[in-house]
Amino acid sequence: MIVLDHRGKRQSLMPLNVGPSHPATHGCLRFLTALDGETIVASVEEIGYLHRGFEKMVERGTWQQVVPYTDRLNYCSAIMNNIAYCRAVENMFGVEITERCKVLRVIVNELSRINDHFVCVAAAFQDLGGTTPFMYAFNPREEIMCIWEKLTGARLTNSYSRIGGLARDSYDGFEQDVLAALDSTEKALKDLHACLDRNRIFLDRTVGIGKISAEKAISYGWTGPCLRACGVASDLRKDEPYYDYETYDWEVVVGTQGDCNDRLQVRLAEIEESMKIVRQALKRLAPGPIDIVDPRIRVPSHKLAYQDMEGLIGRFKSVYEGIRVPEGEYYCGSECANGELGFTIISDGSGHPYRIKVRPPCLTQFAAFHELVEGGQLADSMAVLSGLNIIAGELDR
Amino acid sequence: MTDVAEKPNFITSSLDFLVNWGRTNSLWPFPYGTACCAIEFMSTEVGRYDLSRIGSEYVRFTPRQSDVLLVSGTITYKQAPILKRIYEQMAEPRWVIAMGACACSGGFYDCYCTVPGIDHIIPVDVYIGGCPSRPEAFFDAMFDLQKKIKDESYMKQRTERVKEQLEMIKAKTAEAKEEVREFAHEKVAEFKELVAEKEKEFVEQTQFWKR
Amino acid sequence: MVNVDEIFSVLEEKFGATKESKDKWTVTAVVPAAYLHNAVQFLRDESAIKFEMLVDIAGVDYLTYPNHEGPRFAVDYAFKSMSTPGARIRLKVQVPEADLNVPTLTDLYANANWYEREVFDQFGIVFTGHPDLRRLLNHVEFVGHPLRKDYPAQKRQWLSTNDYLLPALEKRLEVLGYRVVQRSKEVETVDNEFLEGSIKE
Repeated sequence: MIVLDHRGKRQSLMPLNVGPSHPATHGCLRFLTALDGETIVASVEEIGYLHRGFEKMVERGTWQQVVPYTDRLNYCSAIMNNIAYCRAVENMFGVEITERCKVLRVIVNELSRINDHFVCVAAAFQDLGGTTPFMYAFNPREEIMCIWEKLTGARLTNSYSRIGGLARDSYDGFEQDVLAALDSTEKALKDLHACLDRNRIFLDRTVGIGKISAEKAISYGWTGPCLRACGVASDLRKDEPYYDYETYDWEVVVGTQGDCNDRLQVRLAEIEESMKIVRQALKRLAPGPIDIVDPRIRVPSHKLAYQDMEGLIGRFKSVYEGIRVPEGEYYCGSECANGELGFTIISDGSGHPYRIKVRPPCLTQFAAFHELVEGGQLADSMAVLSGLNIIAGELDR
Repeated sequence: MTDVAEKPNFITSSLDFLVNWGRTNSLWPFPYGTACCAIEFMSTEVGRYDLSRIGSEYVRFTPRQSDVLLVSGTITYKQAPILKRIYEQMAEPRWVIAMGACACSGGFYDCYCTVPGIDHIIPVDVYIGGCPSRPEAFFDAMFDLQKKIKDESYMKQRTERVKEQLEMIKAKTAEAKEEVREFAHEKVAEFKELVAEKEKEFVEQTQFWKR
Repeated sequence: MVNVDEIFSVLEEKFGATKESKDKWTVTAVVPAAYLHNAVQFLRDESAIKFEMLVDIAGVDYLTYPNHEGPRFAVDYAFKSMSTPGARIRLKVQVPEADLNVPTLTDLYANANWYEREVFDQFGIVFTGHPDLRRLLNHVEFVGHPLRKDYPAQKRQWLSTNDYLLPALEKRLEVLGYRVVQRSKEVETVDNEFLEGSIKE
């Protein structure tokens, strides 16, 4: 296409389409760029290629049946989504979960965060042409996956959390497994830093690429590691603490430049902070009940159902009718791997959700994509994209 | 050409064996990854499971250089034309694996926006269950596909293709001939009319000058 | 330390806001659509707690809600303060079916653009003044608004072509100060055969 720029100079631009089945788009994002040589002059994004109708599907099931759907929002850290949803509903009930459940949730939350950040950093390397770090980062990830298999029965989409508790208690030897996984995480981190910190090619391709100012990032609604890379110390685990996050000894990691390199470095540093939290939480893991005892919310255990009349009735009712969340409207956001994952829940007091709206952290980040790439090279857009860590399942729901 | 090649003999069956051996052990996948299954495919590629053990070493991100279209993840209506286009861009021989419940049947997304199985759009060779499928299941599917390829006969396919092409060429030639004939008829008729008109004019003119 | 409730009372005074009784856990103010833009500007720039971030916009359809009185649709805005961590407020605009117009917030928050496109896509609520109100999640040939309660969940709609983005790119170029003199040729990707054999309702 031929355009006149603001000085009236004639310019010939080439429109180039990237995606939705491009290797660096990690799923199905698409953007159309207008190129002047190799420089991106303008870019528009298109999403919705993985729009699976989460919000329509959940209206048909019961409240507990929403949990498997939340797995598939951010499938790199499925357990975090389960917990974020369950926390929102528990807040509506106004109940406090048990102490052991809290600690276990913190442990699996942080392990998922490690998992998610590893995928992001590994995929970023892969997109920039480095295959070795990809292999390094996936080793501890596989170990954590093994823990998930033992703990929940599934590798990726776990559905571990339930409203008012967890699907099952931890197994014997859970702590040793977690500690072993942390050790291998530490080793992988060391390897990754060796590949990353002084690698000329990597630094040339990421430092100063895709910069954004803190004001702009806030105006775009960025949250999570991407906002923290811009120098804003905003973390829901500190700002609106839940599950006693404020009592653990850890720090919010903040970047300085807000460029692509910072986003990846913040993620790597967050893995270290998460490891700290997991180590402390393992020490707090005391024996005790996992589920709250309330037939309104949590299905009574087998033992109760077989020996007690009320337990049997409670079990029958919660299986056939589902739990009844109090009528009302509520918004609750939790700090997930990519940022604030929020659920706007509207309940009409029946056994089915009336409406659940997800606030995906990726959407706001991808909405700013054209600001990051315009004026840069086409090859830089890949580095920017992998630094943002867009998960299509969450983006399009 | 036709009769000799259809009958299996020592040379053709050895050639089949050779071709199938090559094809089964160098299946290069094109990962059309959209959702959760793509992450499991990433795990299959690296470290612990190591896809390159069975020769699928190269994951090619262009449909023109790959043999297997690996659809891992939900396909929505917005994406369906793109998937079809990519399938059409692949060179023969090509195979398709539907990985995961979503690609096989739409999974538990029975909704206004998801395609209930990619077999509504493109033919599928192997289906893998699971949401998402485990890496072991993926390996199993690859072995199934290898078995399937081993049963194929390259020479047979070739003769069939040649036959098809011959028939197609024949049909096309006949069509073209018919068209040319019709065209010629039309032209001749037109020319006759023209000559008749000219004659008429000429006669009129001569009559005018005679007067 | 200023409480969110005090900000609500200012909203009540200045913009005629009422408290949403359904929200029993946090503060939700129902604002008339005419005052929405001013109210949000007040929240962002002038109030005691500045709400710098627009967290979410959610559309709601109250068609089948039991004992619901009032307009059919509503748009729910969630705001978060960055300078005062932990402070949140929600605004709500009620939208009757006869007049589906709500003023846009795109000039105040950059991310309102996509959120409003999504609400338009799913509920058909029109945001007046939006620079580029297109569908966001569903494809270009989609008819209807899927998250309305009267849209059947399994009503499927096939797409026959690839989505076409060049007009959007031209719009973006014009925003950046370029003027398109000659358009590039459209790439035709019509797949008529694609529709054959597909399941349609």
